[in-house]
Amino acid sequence: MRILIPYKVKMMIKSLMFLMFGASLYLWAQPSYAWWMWTPGDTVDNSSQSSLSKGYKPIQPIPFSHVAHADKRQINCEFCHSAARRSTSAGIPPLNTCMGCHRFVRTDKDAIKLITQKTEKNEPMEWIKVNDLPDFVRFSHMPHVSKGVTCQTCHGDVQKMEVVEQFAPMQMGWCLDCHRTEQKKSHKTTLTACQTCHF
Amino acid sequence: MSDMHDDLDFQRSSLGEPGNDRSIPELNNSFQVSSNPKELKESDKALPTVQEKSMDMTEHSQRLAFTGGKEVFAPSEGPFEAPATQKISGSLYMEAEEIEPALAENESDLDTIGGKKNSLEDSFLKADIGRRDFLRLFGTGAAASVGAAACVRRPAETAIPFVNQPLDTVPGRPVHYASTCGECSAACGVHVKTREGRAVKIEGNSFSALSGGALCALGQGSIQALYHPERRSDPMEKSGSGFAKTTWDDAFKKIAGEISVGKKVAIFTGPSTGNRHTFFKEFLTKIGASENNLYTYDANPLLASLAAAYKMAFGRSAIARPDLRKAQTIIGIGSDFLDVGYSPVYFHKGYGISQNVTQMGTKGEHIHFESYLTLTGAKASERHVIAPGTELAVTLMLIEELLNSENVKGKESDREIARKLISKYKNNAPDAQDIESLRPAIKKTAERALRTSATAIMCGSTGNFDHNGFQLQLAAIVANCLVGSFDNVLELANGWFTPPVVPGDLARFINDAPNYDVVFFVDTNPFFTVPQKTGFHEAAAKLKTIVSIQAFPNETDLAATITLPGHHYLEAWGDESPVAGYWSFRQPAVRPTSGSRQAEDMLMWIAAHVSAPMGFENYQAYLKDKWQAVYKLLEDKKITYDIFVTLALRKGVFGKPDRVANSDMIDFVDSFNYTKAARGLILAAPFDVRLRDGRGAHIPILQEAGDSLTTVAWDTYIALNPGFAKNLGLRRNDHIKISAASGAEAVQSGLYPLPGLHPNVVVIPRGNGKAKGISKITDDLGVDPLVLVGGEIEPQTGMPITAGNVIKISQVGGKFVLAAMQKHNDLANRKDIVKTVTLEEVKQNASKQVELDKVPDLYPALVQGAYRWGMSIDLAKCTGCSACMVACSIENNIPQIGREQVIKGREMHWIRLDRYFEGPIDNPQVYFQPMMCQHCNHAPCEAVCPVYATTHDPEGINAMTYNRCVGTRYCANACPYKVRRFNWFTHAWNTMGERPMDRNPRALNPDVTVRTRGVMEKCNFCYQRIRAAKHEVEYLNQGEGGLKDGQIQTACQQTCPADAITFGDLSKDQSWVARNRKDSRAYLALGGDPEHKEYGLKTLPNVSYLAKVVNEKLKGSEPEHH
Repeated sequence: MRILIPYKVKMMIKSLMFLMFGASLYLWAQPSYAWWMWTPGDTVDNSSQSSLSKGYKPIQPIPFSHVAHADKRQINCEFCHSAARRSTSAGIPPLNTCMGCHRFVRTDKDAIKLITQKTEKNEPMEWIKVNDLPDFVRFSHMPHVSKGVTCQTCHGDVQKMEVVEQFAPMQMGWCLDCHRTEQKKSHKTTLTACQTCHF
Repeated sequence: MSDMHDDLDFQRSSLGEPGNDRSIPELNNSFQVSSNPKELKESDKALPTVQEKSMDMTEHSQRLAFTGGKEVFAPSEGPFEAPATQKISGSLYMEAEEIEPALAENESDLDTIGGKKNSLEDSFLKADIGRRDFLRLFGTGAAASVGAAACVRRPAETAIPFVNQPLDTVPGRPVHYASTCGECSAACGVHVKTREGRAVKIEGNSFSALSGGALCALGQGSIQALYHPERRSDPMEKSGSGFAKTTWDDAFKKIAGEISVGKKVAIFTGPSTGNRHTFFKEFLTKIGASENNLYTYDANPLLASLAAAYKMAFGRSAIARPDLRKAQTIIGIGSDFLDVGYSPVYFHKGYGISQNVTQMGTKGEHIHFESYLTLTGAKASERHVIAPGTELAVTLMLIEELLNSENVKGKESDREIARKLISKYKNNAPDAQDIESLRPAIKKTAERALRTSATAIMCGSTGNFDHNGFQLQLAAIVANCLVGSFDNVLELANGWFTPPVVPGDLARFINDAPNYDVVFFVDTNPFFTVPQKTGFHEAAAKLKTIVSIQAFPNETDLAATITLPGHHYLEAWGDESPVAGYWSFRQPAVRPTSGSRQAEDMLMWIAAHVSAPMGFENYQAYLKDKWQAVYKLLEDKKITYDIFVTLALRKGVFGKPDRVANSDMIDFVDSFNYTKAARGLILAAPFDVRLRDGRGAHIPILQEAGDSLTTVAWDTYIALNPGFAKNLGLRRNDHIKISAASGAEAVQSGLYPLPGLHPNVVVIPRGNGKAKGISKITDDLGVDPLVLVGGEIEPQTGMPITAGNVIKISQVGGKFVLAAMQKHNDLANRKDIVKTVTLEEVKQNASKQVELDKVPDLYPALVQGAYRWGMSIDLAKCTGCSACMVACSIENNIPQIGREQVIKGREMHWIRLDRYFEGPIDNPQVYFQPMMCQHCNHAPCEAVCPVYATTHDPEGINAMTYNRCVGTRYCANACPYKVRRFNWFTHAWNTMGERPMDRNPRALNPDVTVRTRGVMEKCNFCYQRIRAAKHEVEYLNQGEGGLKDGQIQTACQQTCPADAITFGDLSKDQSWVARNRKDSRAYLALGGDPEHKEYGLKTLPNVSYLAKVVNEKLKGSEPEHH
């Protein structure tokens, strides 16, 4: 007995089977595929846009609170991240910047005890990077800060974050959103050139 | 919460790259060399420990996470396995010069060239699946991944800030330290660029009167020696046939014990012009030995022979400083002052100015006489080939012709000495008959030398120091007197060169050695650079204790009883006074990268152990005390001494040249002895331009840069006159043996028929053939021609005679494939690769401007940004020194790939040095052409890229986006200039020490992406430098016109000692590069002949060349008009 299946349904089943076949092949080939995708020297986020990057919120060695510093006590971002205006990287403050105040302030807290101990031992703090670009992207803070882009534009309201998290997807499309608009405004032809960020 | 902690643990265990620029641990910036050995050790250890830890974790986790424990990448043996000496056996190859049969025909033969299969490719196959399977799987995987979540997780990276950030450090911005290069006695001032405490690049210090901001290949490459994984960090003591680790304290105690027995101590050291030798003398007197127990030696025979000759002729310890800038005529007789000489960068700078072609069509003259081709001879406007060993005869004939001329210059007393000298050899000059045919040329040279107001005669090289090597320098002094060169071009009364060695010391040491118990060998390698037969090795073998203090392990270490790792010059304190009265300071630019220590500090500790302390905390304190003498030169004493020292170290150089009254020449004719030159096939063993006497052999970047004339990398070639080789039935790459005329010593290597050689000369460069067990790089690499050299020592200079040895050639059979990067020698009748013009034409076209960009085409106009970057290269200036190649490799993180891969044509240089021969094969015209990406406005590579990985920047740069590249290599095939390089392998940058060539990640330039396998790469005009300069202008708010012409220097331009490269903005009419592009000599490579409406490939490069200026156009280079 012949079962009549509408053409549309038949095509749906067919395409579903094709997809399932593809998926099983994929799973089988996954180790090799992973090997292909990974190359030393790269730290490419191969995940889709939002799964790992946006909202990424690693636990840091000490529960440093930007709320306490930047919001409640209104300490300027560049007081600690002083390299942002004149360098590629914004710079994470050295321990002696912390110790400038915390030699006297809140010395009873565990975290402060830890950084005091580290400073005495001449041991650096190992922070986990939150906003991490792949190595083939040559981002520089300097031109952005000199052009008056606020820290919050890319990093979000860090002063409201108890634990710092990634605010923007930090993918190329997101960068280009601004770069395209700015290029139209300023007629700076290089703003969307590949070599501006990749070399 | 606990989940998150697990998460964190995982991420921590998979830490990211240690080489990442923003995560460098740095504990403090103290450069103080502590006097307490224990303390020093502790602080030294801190930095490497942190690095090693994170590296282990990276590797481990990456491998586990992605390869299931299998080694896929970075195998322990890469393409760098030691270049082997095996050869393919087979019949005699015909036409080997034109084609490379191994490359063209038989792939399987090629694999066995090095005796081993290429292990990197092996490892590729060792992976779970074959390549085709894997490509297929990749295809299906990619199709299926549409809806699936990705499987690779981003590894977390750490950011490690300073504990105490030094005041002058901003993370991400370089800090430069002024220092002095320590690779040779020239002592060029350098700027060391450091990032977060790591030295990443060495550049010339523009304040330095000697380097003028430039640097040679060896100086550029020495940064790789600093981070070399094979540097030792512990003292070693001989035990049995090997060495065992010992502690610093034990080593010092043992040496002190040996010393206090009989105080029979000596120090044998390399060249120095500063306070180093003074310190050694003070040390010797302090511990109760004589200060005469200090012996200085440099393998370069020019230093000792010049010092001895000037001592004899003028009674002074001085070497005249040839200020070639002033010279209108330069006469070279067997000279290699641009190759090695005794201050190559300084000579290059002066030579560039002297031989500059002005728009009015004037240019200095350079007439050269030599027996084998050197870079110096290749640059000469007129070159004569002479028989080996007749350099002195030519010089004497020149003196004779100068005396015959009525315009002869110089004092009467000098002329009298010259006449006496000539009359002594007029009738019985041994080689006069041989060179009689040269008399017209020499007569003409003498006339030209006297016609111009400033002439310099340069004699002698590292390759022709024979029995007459010392007399040649004396004759050169006489000749220079007769052309009025002294105090005109050769500065002897005003800022002369300080002799860095004392002549006669080597011979003296061989005599004195039995008297000593303990000898310190400090930063010198006589066990390699002194020929075996001189008796040096036997004399040294009888010493009870040999203490070897070396920055890098060498043959002297192997012969030593105790080896102490010394500092690389970038870690050390020091000073040099290369020109009398002029000081160049050396300060540490990095904290010690291994467990090494400053040599002088070790001696201080040893002195303290024998209860004779030197009275200073460390060598830094000693120097600070000595620099009081330099402070006295300061006329205006408004600043205190401490501030003076700070400022002097910041600037790097200080002083003003000493002056003395002119002195008359002393009559030395009675002690002038001419020895007849040997006849037959003569060996010439010059220093390799990059490796010198072997001091650069362990630096992979220098090995890979290749010899400029033969383009042979990673090997020692044996060069013969092509006609002579043809008569013997030999062809290129034939495996031949060169043996001493008497004796069994022989060396074997591949033959390179090099045009421009006298038929009686065989050239085997020195530098390679080092002892086994020193470095993985030099093991089995090349041969050392010194084994063919007799053991004679020249009495006046105490230097071993390394030239004039008669040798025999025999064929071994089969091939020894030399890793030559350029397989062809001539221009193949292409008229638009290298163009030549005569001075007459330059004069005629003085007012003419060319419009290289006016080419009829149908393409739409290009988008034009605020700038249009362009480069101009003056072929009249380029000398082929290859400093640009090395500088580019260091700046742009270019990997070295080893001999095997160079033979396959896979070298990665972004800028290469093409050289072409034209004209008669015995004395050809040599053209050097630096070739890099031409940044074509109509680039063939851009049109063929299927993924837009290479695009045209609105500022004229042909941009390469590595992360877009999928490795089709279409662009490399499309490129007519063959400048695109493909990464066949991921080079293990992050594994320090696994393979010797693996670059320590700390040496990488953090501003440039490290490329991986499957990616195309090429020159990008050092875009990181362009962008940094633009950002600086924006930061300082200087506006559009803020970027000054010359503010951006590419790495190749910055280091070019001949100033051949100009870079800048072509859209500004008055920029140097735009003016050069309009010069009448300007042309585009493969750009046809625009004057006759032929536009070649019409690629419209932004790189233009300035035609080489020749005396006479060769027939082959006449443009053909259709």
